[in-house]
Formats: sequence, C-alpha cells, structure tokens
Amino acid sequence: TGGASGSVSARRRHSNVSVSLLRVDKDRSGVISDSELQQALSNGTWTPFNPATVRSILSMFDRENKGGVNFNEFTGVWKYISDWQNVFRTYDRDNSGMIDKHELKQALTGFGFRLSDQFYDLLIQKFDRQRRGQVAFDDFIQCCVVLQKWTDVFRRYDTDQDGWIQVSYEQYLSMVFSVV
Amino acid sequence: MAASYPYGQGYPGSAGQSPGAPQEGYPGSQYGGGPTPGAPYGGPAPGGPYGPPSSGGPYGHPASGPPGNMYGGGPAPGGPYGQPSTNPYGAPQPRPYEAGGPGGAVPPGVDPEAFSWFQSVDCDHSGYISIKELRQALVNSNWSAFNDETCLMMMNMFDKTKSGRIDLYGFSALWRFIQQWRNLFQQYDRDQSGSINCNELHQALSQMGYNLSPQFSQLLLSRYSQKATNPGIQLDRFIQICTLLQSMTEAFREKDTSMTGSARINYEDFLTMSATRML
Repeated sequence: TGGASGSVSARRRHSNVSVSLLRVDKDRSGVISDSELQQALSNGTWTPFNPATVRSILSMFDRENKGGVNFNEFTGVWKYISDWQNVFRTYDRDNSGMIDKHELKQALTGFGFRLSDQFYDLLIQKFDRQRRGQVAFDDFIQCCVVLQKWTDVFRRYDTDQDGWIQVSYEQYLSMVFSVV
Repeated sequence: MAASYPYGQGYPGSAGQSPGAPQEGYPGSQYGGGPTPGAPYGGPAPGGPYGPPSSGGPYGHPASGPPGNMYGGGPAPGGPYGQPSTNPYGAPQPRPYEAGGPGGAVPPGVDPEAFSWFQSVDCDHSGYISIKELRQALVNSNWSAFNDETCLMMMNMFDKTKSGRIDLYGFSALWRFIQQWRNLFQQYDRDQSGSINCNELHQALSQMGYNLSPQFSQLLLSRYSQKATNPGIQLDRFIQICTLLQSMTEAFREKDTSMTGSARINYEDFLTMSATRML
C-alpha cells in the first residue's frame, strides 16, 4: 500500500525523524522541497506521488512560504502523512491498495460528508490519476483535502448553515480562487 | 451536530481538521464581500459572450479576444482549436501523427512553426508530447519553467483523447493558444518588466471585460505570485488565471439564470461546479 516508504518508513516514529530528514533532504539545505518530498513518498503504484498532493501538504506546514519545510515542520508533515496512511488503510477494506467508489463513500461519510452518488462518480473521475476507476493513496489525500477546503469556504458564506448561499459574482470568484 | 447538516465534519481524530493539519484560517474576510458600487458586473462591458454584442452582457468578455473559450459559451474569438468546427483540430482528417524526419511534410491544418516546435519538444520522438516534455519546453520570460498546474491544465485542455499526451494536432492548437496569451501578456505588461503587477492585472481584466474590484486582482496576485516582496505574475500564471476565470465565470453564469449578478447555490452544486471545472 501507499504511504511514506523507503527512507521515511511509517513504522518509525519521531525519534527517527531527524535521520529521515537527512535522507530526504538530498541537497542538505535544511529545507525539504516538494521534489525532495515527492521522491520520498510512495503511492503504492510505482508512479510518482501526486505533485499536487505534495504541494498541498507542504503549503499547510510551510509557515514562512519558503517553498519547503524545515526540521520542525517536517515532523508535522511526517505525522500528517502517517495519519492519512492509517485512514487509508482503514477504508481500503479489501486491502487492494486503492480506494474504490464504495470505499470512498464510506470514508467521506465517516468524515461527515453527505454527498450524492452522482457526486462520488465525479470525484472518482477527477481524482483517479491511475485511470483504474479508483483512487490511490496520494489522490485520496488530495481528494479529501480539496473537498475539505471547498467545504470550509462554502461554510464561511453559509452563515445560517442551511446548505445554501447567495453570493455575488465577485464573491463567488473570490471563494473559488481562495482555494485553488 | 444536526444530522441534516450537509457538510463534512472534518477527519477522524481531530475536530474539524484534517489529520494533524496546522490551524490555518482562510484570509476570507479580506476579500470583501461588501456590495461593489454600481452594477454587479459593471455596466458597459464591450459585448459579452452571453449576449449579443453591444447589449453589455453583465459578465463582459475579453475585448481583445482571449485565446480560447474552451468551455463553450458564446462566440469568443479563437477557441483553443481555432475554429468552432466539428473537427476539433481544424484539420481535414485528424489522424495519428506519423513521425517524419525533420523537414518532413507539414500535415494540413498544422502551423509550420508549430510543426518544427513539435519536433524539438518531442524529445523521445514518440510522435506525442508528454507532460514531462511539455514542462521542459515551456519557459516564462524570466526563464523559470512553467508551473506544473498550468502545464497540467493545458494538457487536459488539448489532450482530447484523455491519453495523457498530445499529438501534433493538439500541440499545434496548444502552440497557438500559448502564442495568443503571450501576445496579450506582453500587451498588458505595460512597463515591459516581464511580469504583470497588480495594477496591470487589474487593467488587463478590465480590458477583457471583467468587472472586478482591484481587491480581487490583489487576491489573485497574493495567491499566485511567487515573491511577496515584489509581487508579479509570469506568463504561466497569467494563462492559468485567465483560463480559470473564464471557466468559473461560465459556471456562475449558469447559476445566475436571471442575470442579476447574484446567484443562490447549494453545497453540492458548489462542489460540483468546482470539481467539474477546476480539476
């Protein structure tokens, strides 16, 4: 299955993070860039880890907008990916290493999302980079992260929380562009 | 939380947050949301893709002709494939490109310059351009490589067969698309600095017919510019922004059935609009 692999084995814990950091930080700059993190991660399919996922994760932890994470931030990245790995394994019930539509629905329903069947088809279609009709580990993270961001921005405008918003054209564009 | 509440509650193990994600607020309030003075989209936009020209469609449309309104809609000049014919590449008979040697015959419907570019970009001579080859080939005026998102977006636009690669005809259209945006970029880069600053972006969007506040340009710039010290966007981001803007304007317009500049949107519709057009 996917997850942190090789130098960043998910089984190791924080005491070994510094060792991993040294291995991941190939150019010894003290900062893990997206390409360095991407190379250290595996999605379980022998294809490169989704660069969009790598960027989303790094941007969450990169506080100074330096284009990567330092040691302290890397421990957060590490834990974050391990947590996702556990979530992924929990919902990959058939241990296929991929999340199919049914499993995705169970996962997102478990997170509290209430979405139509039709929307799950769209999600699979959009996040299935492997073109297998299901999503790999990296794409699963990306799917959940993106969905959460869109939900957060929608919720901000849905002040009475009835699931509907009334927005102007520019408000709508601002919502959309704040999360791309 | 009430069962009827339609949103996700976040992820297991953390209240409302992704696993271990640092608390991170969106800079939402700064985008305003206050009523903009005047009509919602502005008044006399020069025509609009959604209405007859001269009627001043509320969304406006690029006056100088954006290279490509690939998401359908009105008669915007120059879709990514040139002409709105049934044939997506404008060639009489789109067939798989048969790789010829350099100086081989240029197939009909393909710009000779694009043809020679294709041959140099197609490093492995497969007859197709992969995302990797595309990324290696495209540079901004400051010699930085085109960012991944823009490459991927253009790949998706011009890879009509969804094969993850583009053939000569797709490349020829893509080449034209980029040329057109490059010309516009240079035109809007008034101080010829090689990048578009906040003022220039606002002017560009206005001239394209978008009636958006200067704050909105600022939002775009803060989201897309690389350096906070000297904010500006390169060609790749300019293409990305303008293409997304066209697409999301179209999405909003579909919801704004009465053309008032305001729309009522439910949660799943919002997600669907975003997923359909932004991914």
